[in-house]
Amino acid sequence: MKNMTMVQAINNALEIVLTENEKVVLYGEDVGVEGGVFRVSAGLQEKFGEKRVFDSPLAESGIAGTAVGMAATGLKPIIEMQFSGFSYHAFHQIINQVSRIRNRSRGRHTAPIVIRMPYGGGIKAPEHHSESMEVLYAAIPGLKVVIPSTPHDAKGLLIDAVRGEDPVVFMEPKRLYRSVKQEIQEEEYSIPIGKASVVQEGSDITLISYGASMKEARKASDTAQKKGISVELIDIRSIYPLDRSTIGESVRKTGRVLVVHEGPESYGPGAEVLTTVIDEAFLYLEAPPRRLSGFDTIAPYPQGEEWYIHTPERIVYELQRLVEY
Amino acid sequence: MKYVFNFPDIGEGITEGVIVEWKVKVGSTVKTGDPLVEMETDKVVTDIPSPRDGTITKTFGKEGETIDVDSPLVEIEIEAGPGESPSDEEESFGVVGTSAPAGKDDILPAGKDGVRKQPEANQSQESPSQEKVKATPVARNYAKQLGVSVNKVTGTGPNGRVTKSDILEYHNASRQSTAGLKSGTAPASGAQASTERTRVVQLSSTRKTIAKNMLNSTQSAAHISLFDETEISQLVQLRERYKHIFSEKNIHLTYLPFFLKALVHALSDYPVLNSEMDMENNRLIYKEYYNIGIAVDTDEGLVVPVIRDVDTKDISQIAMEIEEKAQKARERKLSLADFKDGTFTVTSYGSIGGLWGNAIINYPQAGILGIGRIHQQPVVKNAEVTVGTVLPVSLTIDHRIVDGGISSRFMNDFLAYVSSPVDMFIR
Amino acid sequence: MDIAAYDPLNETPYQILDAQGKVILDHWEQSLSDSELIEAFKNMLFVRQFDTMAISYQRQGRMYTYPPNLGQEALSVASGSVLQKTDWMVPSVREMGAWYMKGVSLKELFLYYRGHEIAQRFEQANRIMPITVPIASQIPHAAGVGYGIKFHGEKAVVLTFIGDGGTSEGDFHEALNFAAVWKVPLITVIQNNHYAISLPVHKQTASKTLAAKSLSYGMPGIRVDGNDYIAMHEVLSGSIDYARQGNGPVLIEALTYRRGAHTTSDDPKKYRTQEEEQEWEPKDPVNRLRSFLVHKNIWNPDEEAELIEGYRKEIDTQFLEAEQYPPHSLDDVFAYMFSELPPELEAQKQEYQDYLNATAQEPQK
Repeated sequence: MKNMTMVQAINNALEIVLTENEKVVLYGEDVGVEGGVFRVSAGLQEKFGEKRVFDSPLAESGIAGTAVGMAATGLKPIIEMQFSGFSYHAFHQIINQVSRIRNRSRGRHTAPIVIRMPYGGGIKAPEHHSESMEVLYAAIPGLKVVIPSTPHDAKGLLIDAVRGEDPVVFMEPKRLYRSVKQEIQEEEYSIPIGKASVVQEGSDITLISYGASMKEARKASDTAQKKGISVELIDIRSIYPLDRSTIGESVRKTGRVLVVHEGPESYGPGAEVLTTVIDEAFLYLEAPPRRLSGFDTIAPYPQGEEWYIHTPERIVYELQRLVEY
Repeated sequence: MKYVFNFPDIGEGITEGVIVEWKVKVGSTVKTGDPLVEMETDKVVTDIPSPRDGTITKTFGKEGETIDVDSPLVEIEIEAGPGESPSDEEESFGVVGTSAPAGKDDILPAGKDGVRKQPEANQSQESPSQEKVKATPVARNYAKQLGVSVNKVTGTGPNGRVTKSDILEYHNASRQSTAGLKSGTAPASGAQASTERTRVVQLSSTRKTIAKNMLNSTQSAAHISLFDETEISQLVQLRERYKHIFSEKNIHLTYLPFFLKALVHALSDYPVLNSEMDMENNRLIYKEYYNIGIAVDTDEGLVVPVIRDVDTKDISQIAMEIEEKAQKARERKLSLADFKDGTFTVTSYGSIGGLWGNAIINYPQAGILGIGRIHQQPVVKNAEVTVGTVLPVSLTIDHRIVDGGISSRFMNDFLAYVSSPVDMFIR
Repeated sequence: MDIAAYDPLNETPYQILDAQGKVILDHWEQSLSDSELIEAFKNMLFVRQFDTMAISYQRQGRMYTYPPNLGQEALSVASGSVLQKTDWMVPSVREMGAWYMKGVSLKELFLYYRGHEIAQRFEQANRIMPITVPIASQIPHAAGVGYGIKFHGEKAVVLTFIGDGGTSEGDFHEALNFAAVWKVPLITVIQNNHYAISLPVHKQTASKTLAAKSLSYGMPGIRVDGNDYIAMHEVLSGSIDYARQGNGPVLIEALTYRRGAHTTSDDPKKYRTQEEEQEWEPKDPVNRLRSFLVHKNIWNPDEEAELIEGYRKEIDTQFLEAEQYPPHSLDDVFAYMFSELPPELEAQKQEYQDYLNATAQEPQK
């Protein structure tokens, strides 16, 4: 066991999959020599060589498109979009190609590509460096979308993604890259994609979140407990597929639910989670299912983030209102 | 003044840095922009310049040590600028906006799952949700409004689902004796099972609820009662006069509409009797409306529909409404709305025969008025004994809310209105 | 100069001054007046002061991420000087001199790097687009501006910038093709500063020059020494003349070197050697123009210290103004999403305001 940040845990996971599968290649902008702008792939080129860990020209669509071809030859590409805000350059390749190769070739070809991208706000960066648009990828048939919130989960889920047979958009909350630490196992392990994690059991209300917002959700959950509200905290971890049974089971128990996420509200992941609640727990609801999300606005520059990213206090406030409903 | 400069986040989300080399020491004079210290972070090795002119009075950390973002780096003696408070540490330029370094709170407990290649644990068959019944949200809403615990209601919907009508039925049943009399209730038998000389019958859910509500009222409110009577021959004449006129409109005019009207007048004179106590928040909630519950005896037991906004209605409207509610009660057709939001209750046990009764408050209302049998008896008028028509009245109030003095005055007020009913329409 | 006469495949850049500021062309006629040259030099000095102070503010925690301009001042100041008021500029990110000369205020620049969105109104500057961060996305915009200029029958041109890395993006190629097909007055300046963050240009392209890309789209292309102010100015002037006369677009590859980091969050030591950095130091554009001016006896370097002192005061004043600018409000988050706020957004804003009001007694973190 070793104390690691999420950056270190992902680096560790990449090292494990590069070691165990010689078909794995890792590339993208600045991932090789520099080891990634967030140092996620630091040291990997030195260890595995330029043939397997390398810098690409600056072209996101090219990165994603070439991965499709590499996969056709049996390689296992892990590619990086430097920021999720730049992944839209590659949108066509990801949503029209990566997601469809299996279906288009009737299973003859597959594109089990792992597309890593840092996402989310809170690092005081310029435009396009702070948005949470996971919903775009979650809405595309044929893509799995995973967002870890802890070093432990990041490692286990990434390893599962690389070992799997399907394309996975693996979004990394850069706000949590270095701001949480956790004791984790240095050897390989994997966490199956599609399983939510019940972080904290409780009976009064289910608080559902994932990724970057989990930090605030954890704090809110702790504060609420102190105020006498028993919170069941769930980290869904996988945006698609969504662990609908865990959500249903929890809300059938608590009767109340609050979903917290950072991206825009309308048509957002919160809507999907709450629809699941309606499907799974309609007859157990004690209060209206509620979501707390970003506004339907562009993710603001650093000064506007104060208004945009929800504080633990706000989450506690909403929890209280629902419990008192 | 002292100015503490915190180590800023210089690299998009870095959380700490290592001191490579100090460029200043205590006593050094610095100008804005002068290098203070060389720091190494995950991203860069760089000089950190001074944000202010001044003299270094303290440095935090030795070379090779790790400093968290937002932790003090140096303390500088500076001249206070305009509008700067000399003691304010928060003015530090160290941070603009929020930053999230891994503080002590941010060490997460080790992960639970993902242990290597372990088969998934079988899901427990015991669903924690079994304690909770299924109920439609609308049923839950009705239950909340009526103070019914959903989990106690047996659902009749598909798969045992509790529906709106289940809640209403449950509530109706439970209300049948909430305004009932204490007297006449036989003591319960302590027998466990039927024998030759006893018969054990399981309580109906209605009876159970009545029992619970009665107990709740007597345990929650401080009941005191007073009894009085008054001569009502003026009211008798008034009613006689209008009875025929009303009967042409198919309205059966009883005394009850007049009593309700008198009661509402008295309540508006003594608003505290139309309130309820919220002990949790140490306050009284005054109702600015007058919804009077009337206890109606039916085959199923006593039920208490509410006549709404009695103060805004005239005698004929009240009379019609009473008749309609009583009819519906007997046909068990009362709906939730017919029971909701009562502010005071009247029970007319006198219509069956009693003179005096000690009623139990329809909690959380402040009181209940008992109307005894109107009868003729000798009364003294102008120093002469004559035959008068007398109304016996009992009033039970919650002593938490109101004291005996006010209660007596309220009683007097009510009696004055019924004995001189014209006052109701003139005052 | 006749821009169409140059060979885009020529790896030797068009150059007038050598690193020592000496003229290397045989039959060169000075194209700029002495006073214009002095003005240009002052502007370059000013940009350099701004740059170093910006980095310092960032390190003091008073500003967020900033991309240093060090070593690239000549080409941005030259670009700024050739643009007329009616010309358009579609910026990239590392040509601060051109922005400033186009009318963008220092205060706005500081506000931008302090994370305040009001900055990009560029209140005093006309015909300039805001910065768009995703690489190369501005080039198609510039081609479209070129179409608009033609459509409206104006004599204006549009100047846009991109880095060497940006030439790998599809947007770059699509835009150049459009511009050439439509024959619009677009001048695209590739700032080849040799690095796209960590990736050296020889790993970015297998092409001998970036100017060569012009061939495939059918437009003139030229490689120029971007650290040579005079050469840069001549090439820009020639290109603008060419475009203004309705001949269509031009591609300029300006060779320079990013002497600083990619941004304040970057550490070049991780991907390049100190030897390489030292190799470029003598080719610095500021030193080069200074030497030329001193040779010509029209500049006294001893006067610089006082000049710089004045610049620094002016820059600091603007910075303090930016620092004291009212902070970004909740309204600011919503105000510019649509011409009129749709009900959803109105409700979201109101809900948040209600929350703030409801918890007003408790101090907000």
